[in-house]
Amino acid sequence: MSTPTQTETASKSTFARLSALWNEYLPYWFIAPMVLVMVSITFFPGAYDLYLSLIAEPTLDVFAADFVGLSNFETAFTRGGAVHSFVITITVVASALLLETALGFILAALVAGVGSSRTKSFYRVLFIIPMAVAPVSLATIGRIMLNTEIGIIPYVISTGTPFAAPNFLSDVPLLTVILLDAWNWTPFMFIIFYAGLSSVPKTLIEASRVDGAPMWRRYVHVIIPYMKPVVFVATLIRMIDLFRTFGVVYGLTGGGPGTATQLVSINIYEQMFINNQIGVAAAIAVVYLVFVIAIANIVIAKVGFEGVWD
Amino acid sequence: MATTDGDSATASQRLDKDTRERLVTAVRHTILLMWSFIVLFPLYWLASMSLKPPGTANSLPPDWIFLPTVYNYIQLFQDSGFVGAFANSLIMVSASVVLVLLIGVPAAYVLSRYDIPMERDVLVWILSSRMLPPIAVVLPFFIIFQEFNLFDTRIGMVLMYVSINLSLVVWVMKAFFDGIPETLEEAARVDGATQFQGFRKVVLPAAKPGIFSVAIISFIFAWIELLFGLVLTSFEAVPVTLFVYSFIGSRSIEWGMLAAASTAMIVPVVIFLIAVNKYLAAGLSFGVVIKE
Repeated sequence: MSTPTQTETASKSTFARLSALWNEYLPYWFIAPMVLVMVSITFFPGAYDLYLSLIAEPTLDVFAADFVGLSNFETAFTRGGAVHSFVITITVVASALLLETALGFILAALVAGVGSSRTKSFYRVLFIIPMAVAPVSLATIGRIMLNTEIGIIPYVISTGTPFAAPNFLSDVPLLTVILLDAWNWTPFMFIIFYAGLSSVPKTLIEASRVDGAPMWRRYVHVIIPYMKPVVFVATLIRMIDLFRTFGVVYGLTGGGPGTATQLVSINIYEQMFINNQIGVAAAIAVVYLVFVIAIANIVIAKVGFEGVWD
Repeated sequence: MATTDGDSATASQRLDKDTRERLVTAVRHTILLMWSFIVLFPLYWLASMSLKPPGTANSLPPDWIFLPTVYNYIQLFQDSGFVGAFANSLIMVSASVVLVLLIGVPAAYVLSRYDIPMERDVLVWILSSRMLPPIAVVLPFFIIFQEFNLFDTRIGMVLMYVSINLSLVVWVMKAFFDGIPETLEEAARVDGATQFQGFRKVVLPAAKPGIFSVAIISFIFAWIELLFGLVLTSFEAVPVTLFVYSFIGSRSIEWGMLAAASTAMIVPVVIFLIAVNKYLAAGLSFGVVIKE
């Protein structure tokens, strides 16, 4: 390794100089496009949402905008159904998160405990398949299987049990959404927990086995504490994605019946593209952005990132 | 301490233990098989519905035994709308994956190897871009896209797909690069390679499994995306998700064709998933798991 002298540098061709520039500032070139994209997809939409929420009619000319103060927010929360849609969203996110975490962990623990590695990998591959199902296909499955006239599930319930099947899409629409999401995304929790369980050092488990600890104590005192960072990241990522839920509800119930499944994302969509209330839509979007980012940051601060990536 | 296991146990205790263990195993497999059924049955039902001859698709009690027909698929693929949307999605999603890797992988490398000021904040900021619900993001882009003639273009959709996946690529790849020893490129530098050559010829090949899995995951997330297509396209750049939704939206649903279209959307992704299932855990868990 020798550093070039002054004369050598001066005699370099343009290409060589460019390539030196490229190598010298490599980290900057490498990171600049990412920063550019990130800024334009985080700061820009947030600021633009805020701007749209404060004006009467959208216009590209910021200075010509007719500012209306907080009246869009007022409309959103008095007549726009924003409160209702927030409650619905929180209900769905919390229930689905709880269900998927519990189911995912139980399945992962069961599969990890299976003796032969062939059986293990069979279950592992099988169990991740629902993740391949797009929201549109999931909505289709729901519509076909739960339909009161043609659905196999109401048919089986009504003919096979003494109970009358509920109309899943109109009697218990929220439950239906939660269960469908659990079918779709429990695999996500499963695969991460499974990988986490496999990374628990064998010596730790052996030690507690030798101590004669029953299985549940092994989980409570050894395995779950060890897996805390894994559980934390999986739950955080899943929670963030749950707040994005749109497609399956849009395809399944369209937010209905009435507003029974009107998640915030559906509400914003309807305000904007059906009611043409762009300002009101933007006002709900602003509150939603602040809300989701605040919740995620609280979770991050509470649980702490230490031990997760450092 | 270790007296309860093994030698000191009497024969009857051991028998007890064996029966109990066998019982536990039986319960374990019963639950796992039940879940397998829950996973598979809806997919089987969707696929079987797509293969039933028209008119019998929704008969109850269901025809458990029927002669499969590809009638619905023929109908579907004769519909130029479906083929066009399917091709659109393939092109747009693939292009977005290439672009997001070009942007995200080098950035992740820098985040992994260099001391970045406020690195923690940068990483949380990157993650926070995933916290932005698409509906809140799509609103500004809808107006901007119309103004800059990006509305209903493939380029516009590619950019939006990049925005979905960039944070994912950066996070996953940073974790992968963290796991690759720095001595590798240092050795290359000593041999006279430039920094960039070290990255391209030494680090990238070592990170191949990570890049591969993150590419597939990005593909899936873009492939199943609906909202951006719904808001930002109308005719030219319609993705396949949107086309399938248009089936659901129509007043009289052709169940057979809807099932066929939904199945056709799932098949490529299932194949991908099974192919990368080995790397998937590491990819999805943002590096937490692979770090020991």
